[in-house]
Amino acid sequence: MGSKKMLVALAGQPNCGKSTVFNLLTGARQHVANYPGVTVEKKTGGFNLDGTRVELVDLPGTYSLTSYSLEERVSRDFLLGDNPAAVIDVVDGSNLKRNLYLTLQLMEMEVPTVLNLNMMDVVERRGQKIDISKLQEVLGIPVVPTKAKKGEGKEGLRAAVKQLAENRSEAVFKIEYGKMEPYIEELEEQLKEDPVLSVQYPVRWFAIKLLEGDAEAGELLKRTHPDAEKVIEQTEDCRARFQVEAGNAVERHIAFTRHGACAKIARETVTLPAVKKRSLSDRADKYVCNRFFGPIILVAILMLLYQVAIVFGNWVALQAWPIWGAIENFAAEVLPAAGFVNDPLLRALGLWVVKSTTAILNYLPIFFLLFSLISILEDSGYMPRMAFILDRLFRRFGLHGQSTLPMILGGVYVGGCAIPGVMATKAIPDERARLATIMIVPMMNCLAKVPLYLILIGAYFADVGGLAMFFIATVTLFIALPVAKILSLTVLKKQPSAPFIMEMPPYHIPTLGGILRRAGERIWLFLKKIVTVVAAVAVVVFVLINYPGLTEDRNAHYADMQSSAVVTFMKDVSKTEFKGTITQGDVLPIILFGESLKRAKQGVTDKDVSAGINQDFQAKNPTYYAVVKRVGKDGKKLNRSLKKVIKVRKKARREARSERFETSFLGTMGRALEPVTQWAGFNWRINIALLSAFAAKENSAATLGAIYGIDGDQSVQDSMKAGESGFTPLHALALMLFMALYPPCVPTSIMVRHQSNSTKWMLFSIGYQTLLGLFVASLVFTGGTVLGLNGFQAMWAFYALCVATTLVMAMIPTSEEKETAAAATNTTCKENCS
Amino acid sequence: MTLNELTPGTACTMTDLTAPGALGQRLMDLGFCPGAEIEIVRNAPLVDPVELHLDGYHVSIRHNEAKHIEVEV
Amino acid sequence: MKKMMIVLTLAALLAFTGQAFAHSPLMSCFDNGDNTVTCEGGFSDGSSAAGVKLHIKDGNGKPVLETRMNEDSEVTFDKPAGSYVVIFDAGEGHTVEVNGADIVE
Repeated sequence: MGSKKMLVALAGQPNCGKSTVFNLLTGARQHVANYPGVTVEKKTGGFNLDGTRVELVDLPGTYSLTSYSLEERVSRDFLLGDNPAAVIDVVDGSNLKRNLYLTLQLMEMEVPTVLNLNMMDVVERRGQKIDISKLQEVLGIPVVPTKAKKGEGKEGLRAAVKQLAENRSEAVFKIEYGKMEPYIEELEEQLKEDPVLSVQYPVRWFAIKLLEGDAEAGELLKRTHPDAEKVIEQTEDCRARFQVEAGNAVERHIAFTRHGACAKIARETVTLPAVKKRSLSDRADKYVCNRFFGPIILVAILMLLYQVAIVFGNWVALQAWPIWGAIENFAAEVLPAAGFVNDPLLRALGLWVVKSTTAILNYLPIFFLLFSLISILEDSGYMPRMAFILDRLFRRFGLHGQSTLPMILGGVYVGGCAIPGVMATKAIPDERARLATIMIVPMMNCLAKVPLYLILIGAYFADVGGLAMFFIATVTLFIALPVAKILSLTVLKKQPSAPFIMEMPPYHIPTLGGILRRAGERIWLFLKKIVTVVAAVAVVVFVLINYPGLTEDRNAHYADMQSSAVVTFMKDVSKTEFKGTITQGDVLPIILFGESLKRAKQGVTDKDVSAGINQDFQAKNPTYYAVVKRVGKDGKKLNRSLKKVIKVRKKARREARSERFETSFLGTMGRALEPVTQWAGFNWRINIALLSAFAAKENSAATLGAIYGIDGDQSVQDSMKAGESGFTPLHALALMLFMALYPPCVPTSIMVRHQSNSTKWMLFSIGYQTLLGLFVASLVFTGGTVLGLNGFQAMWAFYALCVATTLVMAMIPTSEEKETAAAATNTTCKENCS
Repeated sequence: MTLNELTPGTACTMTDLTAPGALGQRLMDLGFCPGAEIEIVRNAPLVDPVELHLDGYHVSIRHNEAKHIEVEV
Repeated sequence: MKKMMIVLTLAALLAFTGQAFAHSPLMSCFDNGDNTVTCEGGFSDGSSAAGVKLHIKDGNGKPVLETRMNEDSEVTFDKPAGSYVVIFDAGEGHTVEVNGADIVE
């Protein structure tokens, strides 16, 4: 006997506590995905209802069920197409009148509905009273009060769902549309002629939608009705006739009638308190949205966010580093042993993949803190206030008030990370502004770019270090804003733009469980989607920087280095008691033994533990141990010889690595790009560094070091200077600007793809950012050279240029303003013409 | 007169909606109907948008959206 | 004007003390048993520490030795008598300190 299954939907307007109800019913058993083909999140969970397995689908929160927004369409498609047994309509009890607007529409769709009167604690606090039995009587559907935040009401909900599923009764309440009713009947007749349609969709609802001018209903009609054209014509006719008869457009009449019905029901069932108290939220907003305090509070909150997530997060990351270090050591032990110069493929590849993955896992504590803080900001209701304060400013550049957080996370002035930045764009309701934000967040100051800046500034702008840092930190903002404006006027023009209309819900204290759950979901998404791709890309990068590899000649050269070192060592061995015990074949193993011992002792500060490890190793191989740890007179002698061999080995490996790199596919690419990049002042070595930096930003400082073949006493800075004689501060400036603008790293690009739901946009963002970076670097370098500016002068000339461009861009009217201006002239014309 | 002409602290009643298409629908969905009582709470620090209080909840809209809402004081 | 520049520079420097943290310095030291100590350095993001300064100070904070990491990101120096501290100084507030007492064989 199979278990019964049931599909239940969870609907509701935004800010009604729907998520809390969802968690209340499903507990920890949740799963987040996307609705097919769109970036709308679909959350499903399950619970057991007396032997029936219930699948609960959390529909996106919407104020209504028109076909204007993606979220509404997704909800409608689900309700009509997936045929849930029931829908739980979560309602903010303290705002019953407005919430009923959605309830009545759900009922019109003829889906069995349970009205979940949530947030009853707020209702009580405000001194309101709701007559639940009266409400139930009027609507004809079960009404269940809950205080989901406090965990109360679960049983009532479950019982109501069970009851509904078992006896599918018709809801009692029906909105009477007055003058429109005859027209509805007219269309219903037409629709009933379609055998498929009349069964699949509620006929009355369909008729109302057609009259309303609903776009999606029109589409559905064309697809199923045998004589769709005729029906559409008749609909238009009805609409025109109604307009004449009632003096009002159909959609207005429908909305107003609905609201009228809601108001009537609310009047009959809700008792408001005699005296209206100013809520705590209202009083708080006096400061939070204040002209003076508002921005100050905003900056304070953002700085706090930064302090906790980045500064504290870094401290946590540092403490967690030993975990990743241990994984790397484990890999080093477990993979096939290293060679003298070249390592077996499995080892080299394995270590590379492990290192690339741990480099990004290193950021996990920072991400977890960031995600938690973002959840707090979202749940508390502060985000709409942030959008309220900053919208005007961002709007000028084609962005949205809610673009603030993604930009901050990406790193405005101080360091951030583009990955959570792009992730945070999910909340932006305006599609055009959202894409614009996604396109510019990667240009912000990410943490991984900073070591590069430090190196270059340290080498070429040492005396004006602070100013140079200020420059590179702020100039990206003045580039990002004009770019956003340009993008929204050109490439993104076709994207739908939504009205601002934003609810400002009362403040809300987030629950720890909710925060952790949300942060956990996002971390899991991050691990699943990004880390896997990073590992895959690491393999590709490995091939690109290691092949075609060294020629036979070169390999022979290094083999010679190896053999001469070994021969010297063996000569020394023959002078000791180890003669005969240690052979040529032991040299490398002794070296590896020593490395293994060091790895085992990493981080150990306790003398006894250390001594214990020593003993273990000594037991494993007393001879090797003697040489490595200088046991006995001969041991001491050989140790000195060993150190010489190790030095040769290290040198050989370093040089071989560097050579392999320069002759690799990536190296060839770097050389091939030189004719183009020379205008930016980049030679092939820099090109290679930049190419590999994209694949793994964190390694770029190391790559730079490897390319310049760091030599002994010099720091990376000094080496670069020596390696690139003829490299001036102007070169460095161009390089820094390029690094600031081009795509930061592979995980970011993956996130861009995920958030924009299109590979096209991901490729566009990679392409335009690279070209922009190249253009800017070339402009600065060639322009600076032609004008005879030195690095410092070029820096501030460019800065002035960016600020000027930003101001100019701010003045160009946005497309809405152009539309409004056009509309205004149109209306004036009508008035004059009539 | 239209909503965007009023100053913070004023209360009014809505008489008509002249917003087209999606904007009009969205406004209606959020309760902007003839007879609705609206209180202008405050303007944003940079003037736009404006925060409004309807029956028990707050909504902010841009001034160029408020222009489409006809009201009487 | 000059004052403005100073203020701006200070502000920039202050802001950046919080910077570049994922690029955290790391150092491990080993007592070689022959009165020398070897310290290996690096950064948590994999960058090389070649050329980075190392300060060795005695128990009273008096500098005993100044040296740098070599091209292999390591340096070997004579073990100081008595208590000592090894400071890995990558500049801009990136330092790691290891107490001599914790450096074991």
